[in-house]
Amino acid sequence: MRYRSQSIAYWYFAVAMCLFGLQLVFGLLSATKYLGPDPLLNFLPFDKTKAIHTNLLIVWVLTGFMGATYYMVPEESRSEIYSVKLAYIQLVAWTLMGVTTVVGYMFGWTAGNKMLEQPFPLKIVIVIVMLMFLYNILMTIKRAGRWTVTEGVLVAGLAFAAILYLPALIEYENYTVSIFYRWWTIHLWVEGVWEMIQGGLLAYLLIRLSGADREVMEKWLYVIVGLVFMAGILGTAHHYYWVGVPHYWLPIGVFFSALEPVALLGMAMYAYFAMRRAGFSHPNSLAVHWTIGSTVFTVFGAGLLGFAHTWPSVNKWTHGTLITAMHGHGAFYGAYAMTVLAMISYILPHLTSDRKVEGNSIGYWAFWMQVMGMFGMTLSFGTAGIGQVYLERILGLGYLDTQLKLQVHFLMLIATASVFATGAALFIWNFFRTAPRSVAAIDSSTSAPDLAPAGHANSAASG
Amino acid sequence: MTKRQGRLFFIICTLISATVFIGLTFDSHRRFPGLTNEDKLTPEIIRGKDVWHNNNCINCHTLLGEGGYYAPDLTKITQQRGTPYLTAFLKDPSQFYSEEKHRRLMPNPKLSDAEISEVIAFLDWVGHIDNQGWPPRPIIVSGTTIPGTDVGQPPTHASVSTDPVAQGEALFRSSPPACNACHSIASGVNLAGPTLAGLATRAAAIIASPEYKGEAKTPVDYIRESITHPSAYLVPGATYSANNQSFMPDNFAADLEPQQIDSLVAYLETLK
Ligand code: HEM
Ligand SMILES: [Fe+2]
Repeated sequence: MRYRSQSIAYWYFAVAMCLFGLQLVFGLLSATKYLGPDPLLNFLPFDKTKAIHTNLLIVWVLTGFMGATYYMVPEESRSEIYSVKLAYIQLVAWTLMGVTTVVGYMFGWTAGNKMLEQPFPLKIVIVIVMLMFLYNILMTIKRAGRWTVTEGVLVAGLAFAAILYLPALIEYENYTVSIFYRWWTIHLWVEGVWEMIQGGLLAYLLIRLSGADREVMEKWLYVIVGLVFMAGILGTAHHYYWVGVPHYWLPIGVFFSALEPVALLGMAMYAYFAMRRAGFSHPNSLAVHWTIGSTVFTVFGAGLLGFAHTWPSVNKWTHGTLITAMHGHGAFYGAYAMTVLAMISYILPHLTSDRKVEGNSIGYWAFWMQVMGMFGMTLSFGTAGIGQVYLERILGLGYLDTQLKLQVHFLMLIATASVFATGAALFIWNFFRTAPRSVAAIDSSTSAPDLAPAGHANSAASG
Repeated sequence: MTKRQGRLFFIICTLISATVFIGLTFDSHRRFPGLTNEDKLTPEIIRGKDVWHNNNCINCHTLLGEGGYYAPDLTKITQQRGTPYLTAFLKDPSQFYSEEKHRRLMPNPKLSDAEISEVIAFLDWVGHIDNQGWPPRPIIVSGTTIPGTDVGQPPTHASVSTDPVAQGEALFRSSPPACNACHSIASGVNLAGPTLAGLATRAAAIIASPEYKGEAKTPVDYIRESITHPSAYLVPGATYSANNQSFMPDNFAADLEPQQIDSLVAYLETLK
């Protein structure tokens, strides 16, 4: 770490870790409700635990993105953050917003629109916080007078993410129109601009971890993001099939959403070839695990499992079943949770004291338990979903009776989710195990060596 | 390829897709009023949408297939259940389902009478959105349509026959709302409505009993009356009726052709 203001990232990550832990508590709670009966039925029924679970996910991942940005931008632009104070004010406002949202849901304060349940005043807070964030980052870049493509892609992704949240502020009288624009936020986030963010973070990690040539990496970054948008924008159609839109969205969905995995595969190849060409010599091999792991899991959870039900001929049977939950978990975890965890794993040795760059065995347990646990969870949802499609959608067994027949899959879900949660708990514990470096101790001479493999002078070396 | 060409690729891809996407969005807006019957979108229905949102219904149920996957899809619910049934259900779901049986129960949403009728109106409006015919087969809440069902075959395909019984059977699975959404023909399998197994035999016993106050003199008349005037005789059971009104929809007399009712009766008469 060369810039004092990079230590802002630590506090963003710390908040992200707390919310991650809380997300899993509500996830496990929701899973037990699949088994039923539910002793909390009248205080905390499924609709509340589920909304809290998904909202915490979105909030902690965004917190992680912001923390990563505060770490990355000073290095890329070779400058301290424009206003450290604003960054902390922003974090406090953001965290308060998150906590208020969760408590509000418990007491029934909700806008009740899936994944955009935040009540209107809180949506306004979200917009304000995003503006503070973007202002701070853009002023940093402006003051520094230099920017790199890697950072440009990241910041543009974040700015687009903020813009795409705006349709969620509008009330629509027509439910179909409301669904139409809900996907502008949700789909264009996860299969558009968040992938752009992911690409920016991935390029940064690969350049740091492998010492790959920046020019080459940034060239391919453009191509990947181009592929993402080529397929992803019109791929929104795969959410439109059955909600009351003109028929032409069906063939559009067939073609473009089927192309989406290409961009994700591209990202995995990007990571693989960068590491292979430049070598796995970086000492932080835990961060290498998370980085490569995230691209592989993205191909599996988002690419493969998304593709599995993206065509109308399949989707008309699977739409609205646990098949969607299978894919949602694999995709969000692989692409976004793992990317943030990769950034944290890479950055943490720089931000905390008494920590070995190469990671410890707890770190590897955390990695493998999460990956295996999440793999098992997608299998559980997947097998439950196949059973549901067959019994309920094809044979015509009632919804409630079908769910009763899926109990064994729900047991499997809880078992694998427990493995996952243990892995996550280890990660969180490992995060908080050592204290953050005090700012006074942060000085280029004493900071942890930013070990790029020999022969690759760090392009962002200070000065 | 150079970095500049990479950037160009990115810009061109993004611009083309975004332009096409926005163009199609404009066109979709032109079509939404027709596809969604916007002319029927009354203030009551819009308030019903607010009830739906304020109570976070979507995080358990699905509507148009979107939602929580934890409770039944409600897209076509008003075509399967009449207003009196839905009203009674929403007043107290625990009267209809139990955690002992299904391990899941809907918590009482504690809605006012006005909110109940608004949200039902909203669901009814959603049920008539032109959504490419989804779901391809009816999704039912509980029970089973497996006995006597043509697996995987759309209900209307069976109606080509000219035999009244065959036509009646097809209607049983398709007449809006489909009878089999609430009635099974397997003995002992009671869904939202009582099983119709052995109906013809039972009908004779019912008209002979002192509780019967209707007009039918023969089992056939009784079956016809049950379709056209569901409240003429109430099958005992708190989940079938309330306040002397049956929960079965009463639109059949108006919505079916007399000859369609004849075939339904002909079919049901065979259930001895
Ligand atoms: C990182 C990328 C992705 C993430 C985070 C992601 C996440 C999600 C989530 C959370 C849902 C559930 C939405 C809901 O329940 O309302 C969903 C639905 C869906 N996703 Fe993805 N997804 C990704 C990529 C993809 C890709 C690449 C494809 C296709 C190739 C795809 C196909 C689908 C389809 C078809 C549905 C709708 C299922 C239905 O409602 O019938 N997804 N996605
Ligand atoms: Fe999508």
